[in-house]
Amino acid sequence: MSFARWVSIYGSTYWTGLAWTAFIALWASFGAVVWGCVLLLIRLSAGRWGARGVDAYVQLFRNTPVLLPIYLIYFAFPMIGLPWPAVVCGGLALILQNGAYISEVLRGSVNAIDRVQFDAARSLGLAPWGTFRKVVLPQVLVYSLPALGNQVVLLLKDTSLLSAISITELTMQAKLLTEQTGAAYEAFIVVALLYLVLVSSTEVLFRVAHHAVRWR
Amino acid sequence: MIAIRGLRKAFGGLRVLQGVDLDIGDGEVVALIGRSGCGKTTLLRCINFLEEYDAGEIRLDNTPLWYREAPGGGRQRVSEAEARRQRQQMGIVFQQYNLFPHMTVLDNVLLGPRFSQRVSAVEADHLGRRLLARVGLEGKMSAYPAQLSGGQQQRVAIARALAMRPKVLLLDEITSALDPELVGEVEDVIRSLLSERIMMVIVTHALRFAREVAHRIAYLSDGAIVELGSPAEVLDRPKDPSLKEFLRHVR
Amino acid sequence: MIPPGSLALLAQGAAVSLLLAAAAIVGGTVLAIVLAAAAFSRIAAVRALYRVYVYIVRGTPLLVLALLLFYAMPALDLRTGPYIAGTLVLIIYTGALFAEVFRGGVLSIPRPQWESARSLGLPPVAMFRKIVAPLVTRYTLPPYVNVCVMTVKASSVLSIISVWELTLAAREIIERTFAVFTILGLAAAFYFVMCFGIDRLGRRVERRLALRGFAGERA
Repeated sequence: MSFARWVSIYGSTYWTGLAWTAFIALWASFGAVVWGCVLLLIRLSAGRWGARGVDAYVQLFRNTPVLLPIYLIYFAFPMIGLPWPAVVCGGLALILQNGAYISEVLRGSVNAIDRVQFDAARSLGLAPWGTFRKVVLPQVLVYSLPALGNQVVLLLKDTSLLSAISITELTMQAKLLTEQTGAAYEAFIVVALLYLVLVSSTEVLFRVAHHAVRWR
Repeated sequence: MIAIRGLRKAFGGLRVLQGVDLDIGDGEVVALIGRSGCGKTTLLRCINFLEEYDAGEIRLDNTPLWYREAPGGGRQRVSEAEARRQRQQMGIVFQQYNLFPHMTVLDNVLLGPRFSQRVSAVEADHLGRRLLARVGLEGKMSAYPAQLSGGQQQRVAIARALAMRPKVLLLDEITSALDPELVGEVEDVIRSLLSERIMMVIVTHALRFAREVAHRIAYLSDGAIVELGSPAEVLDRPKDPSLKEFLRHVR
Repeated sequence: MIPPGSLALLAQGAAVSLLLAAAAIVGGTVLAIVLAAAAFSRIAAVRALYRVYVYIVRGTPLLVLALLLFYAMPALDLRTGPYIAGTLVLIIYTGALFAEVFRGGVLSIPRPQWESARSLGLPPVAMFRKIVAPLVTRYTLPPYVNVCVMTVKASSVLSIISVWELTLAAREIIERTFAVFTILGLAAAFYFVMCFGIDRLGRRVERRLALRGFAGERA
């Protein structure tokens, strides 16, 4: 069957998958950045134990595959009285995992930013939270933009794992189509192309954003 | 001896060398001076074919180097193997990062003779030790480059270049990256080589040193040798206006 | 607390994961050397092929690559089952990652060192053996170890194409016993030990190589 015909017949299936993938990637990325900032704040302000706690958290998520938190939240939450929908469970797992990596990225940026800025802010009488919000965070985020872009791309690709908990994102749709039609190649090659498009678009987006912000 | 005729090179649209002619006699030391971007480093790198050039000829002892007559007319680059062989007749020392950090000083010096010239291990070892003694570093034979000062590293680099028994030594601003107090030891080594009557082409900013060791100084501007003569002529009685300007700035 | 027999099963699964990762690392490294050579080829078309390969492998989720290969294998008439498909996919995946690491390593060799080697007239074999390989090894050790850890984690994705390894073992036990926290906790512990262990090993090797005098040049 020709490529064009295939797409026209099953376009809606792909569209559903694409929409779910993009949707989850979007809010999970946002959540991961927020969570990463929170972890960073804890690390910076909660003294030795805060830093150690965040370290332990980061090491845990760095050394375990993302499928484990996905399964954990999906299977365990209903058992402890939180019967959240699969999408939320999956997204939460992605947030927890990628938040760890993002906090490390941000931490690297913080180290790269001049100490003097901290002292200047403190002498202006800004309280720690104020310092963080007005001085540290904006600079850190701008500085980290390329690395954050990388992490978002990784998160985007990790959404494919949510097919394991039956979320109808792109990969799941491809599996469904394969089972329906037996045409594995067509199903998956289109999906692979769609992912490539998503990944490339995201990379371009971040590069443009980085340029735009740098020239401010 | 080296004969350079009509050397031209452009990087894309930028013409870096616009017809360079230069003769270097046996045992002669020529210093190349000029502003940044005048082409002096490019000229040096063309001599041992680290840069390909677009037109012109370089001859070593009357044998043309790097390019051959192509069968259908025009010229043809020599093979990689031939280029390697030809390069062995020249030694080059760069401004920095010369030495291989994962090998001892002695191994650095031995590398060329052992693997390019197929000198036996024993002979190469003797050669290496002798050269290191010559540059005053026989005590550092088993040290690693990271454990040496910049000046010591450059001296080893010179020894390594000499280990190939080259006909000409090319020196590309070898003291520019050194702390001032380390410059002297490197210049001493160069001075000591004068008695060996080895051809040298020295790209340098250090006019004082050039005056001392060079037989002739070539001043380059916009890719051509604009003034050429003895140190006294070029440095004390400059004729070209841009050279006068250059000297004024360097003072 | 821990369902009987599950610890042993998980340990077996971990061993399989480790073996898969090891096979992928070895195969991937070999592939990566070939790929990295292609990346620096004089022929522009070969270099372009390299970039396309890396683009596709890095831009597509590992799961999609695995599923593609998994469904493609019967069509290619290879009755070898998910293990071979899984290992192959991992090799293709890690090959791309290692190749980028090697490429970065080659690029971080300072230019004068290349030029010194060329000026000494070193033949290609000697150049590779005595200069390129040792330097690239030292420059790329940290990112190489990183990719190794990523490979262990990536092996868990193969559970979805029914390769029996630690994650699938855990999932099967959970579906039987519902001891979600315990089993996943244990699985996490196994992964942690493996990944952290590789990281520590890498650091030890790094230190040993550094002791031999390589501490970067200071001009």
